[in-house]
Amino acid sequence: MVLEILQNLSEMQIVGELTVLTLLIGGIIMAGGVIIAKIAKLLFHKYYAPSLPQDTAKNISKLIYFGILIISFLGFTSSQGIDLSGIMVAGGIFAVVIGFATQSVISNLISGVFLIVEKPAKHGDTIELPDMGITGTLLDIGTFSSKVRRFDGTVTRIPNEKFFTSNIRSLTISTVRRADVTVGISYESDIDHAILVMKNEILQTMPFVLQIPEPEFRIEELGDSSVNIHVFVWHPRDDWSQAQPILLTTIKRALDKSGIEIPFPQRVIWTGKD
Amino acid sequence: MNTMSDDSKNIFSNYGIYDLGDDLELSLPNISIKFQRISDNAFSYFRENSEGKIVEKIIPVKSNDLKIELAPIRPLNHPARRTNHVFLKFDKEIYLSKNSAASIFIHCPIEIGIFLIHDSNYDSLDWITCNPLNSRFGLYGSPDTGTLCKYAQVSLATGYDDSNSYVEGVMQIVVENTLSSGQIISQVIFPITDNALYYQDSKTILDGIKITMKKRAAVNIADVKPTPLEIDWTMSPTWEDKVSSTPLEMNLE
Repeated sequence: MVLEILQNLSEMQIVGELTVLTLLIGGIIMAGGVIIAKIAKLLFHKYYAPSLPQDTAKNISKLIYFGILIISFLGFTSSQGIDLSGIMVAGGIFAVVIGFATQSVISNLISGVFLIVEKPAKHGDTIELPDMGITGTLLDIGTFSSKVRRFDGTVTRIPNEKFFTSNIRSLTISTVRRADVTVGISYESDIDHAILVMKNEILQTMPFVLQIPEPEFRIEELGDSSVNIHVFVWHPRDDWSQAQPILLTTIKRALDKSGIEIPFPQRVIWTGKD
Repeated sequence: MNTMSDDSKNIFSNYGIYDLGDDLELSLPNISIKFQRISDNAFSYFRENSEGKIVEKIIPVKSNDLKIELAPIRPLNHPARRTNHVFLKFDKEIYLSKNSAASIFIHCPIEIGIFLIHDSNYDSLDWITCNPLNSRFGLYGSPDTGTLCKYAQVSLATGYDDSNSYVEGVMQIVVENTLSSGQIISQVIFPITDNALYYQDSKTILDGIKITMKKRAAVNIADVKPTPLEIDWTMSPTWEDKVSSTPLEMNLE
């Protein structure tokens, strides 16, 4: 009975030599290809991906998945008796037309490939895109776009072309980072004493501030009301929150304890003599 | 079972294995620890340091036979685990003349671990430092390619008996200068994850290191390698993830 059904299907021609049976076989090849691709991807994620860097694992996973799909597609076309050489010739012209029509899509695709090859940042890195005013954690470099999770929890999708041509500032590529603040002390205060007080307090109460290199103090300017000191401290790259936000608090506490004045803006007004 | 140490006038708990029983109190410099049975199947753990920071945990247990071990651990966990390397800055520089060798002892900072022992398995319950001011970070090298280290200023020790209880252990450093000129040593940087710790009462000893100053191509370098100890003291369990680190080579200035 099955043979009869197959016989009937093979006799039902659609176009030229294309019959319902060959189309069915093609469909089975494609479906099988999709299933095999998904299983291969799943097995790769389960057994091999955990031992690889996250972005490398993602790229290899995509390669396996789409590689199997392309092979399946080639199997499908050959099962249908389609001559690809003819398509190649026509495809050249067609590609030019499509290329113009989908320029930005292709551009994003190629930029995505370049991003994967060049790796200006990897999955999980904290990055800043100054041109776009975006700072956050890189979640994914996809086929056409990349995703960055900003610190407010929202996710921004950036077309790969824009991402690739932007300035990318990596905040996690170095072992350590530097935090800095400016603080003003009164003109009556002893600068060396104030620096010593600030330095001791920082080193004693901020455990994430590096002892080597030591905190650095530069006189930034002799301001209208105060001597402004620029304070630089280094910290492990992942501990920004333990340095920058509490640096001013620590410095103010140190100056308060030592009675060193942080002056308000002042104006000295001279009035004419009577 | 362990008792108290009368070290440095105060009465502090010795390192070692303690049977929990119903209640147990341990005392360390600036730190107090209490275990209390709160039901047949659970204990509470309470720890307070000198800054008033409190840690409390509930420990469910299967059997009545629960023990803990108080032991020194590597100084890598306070204030947070970020590196396997330590950067020890000597309070006095050491001069070594050409083609000579020397052996010195230094005080190396330690932390203290509290381990739960059940069915001969060790689980880390907590870790503490009795000297948080000597538990800081430092960078060896440049910000982009340097090595982040736990940093401490250390003094020379007279020998293995010169350990500062609960705060510093003693480590032997053998230095060999194979260069044709004298060298000054003021600091050493190495991955401490290869060094085991040993304890007796309240004292701690660490595996030593050997520093060989030699010439490679046109550059003078210091090659640092661990040297395991053979000693009858109790080896401390270590709970940090064992990560094999490449021995460090320091550039000589």
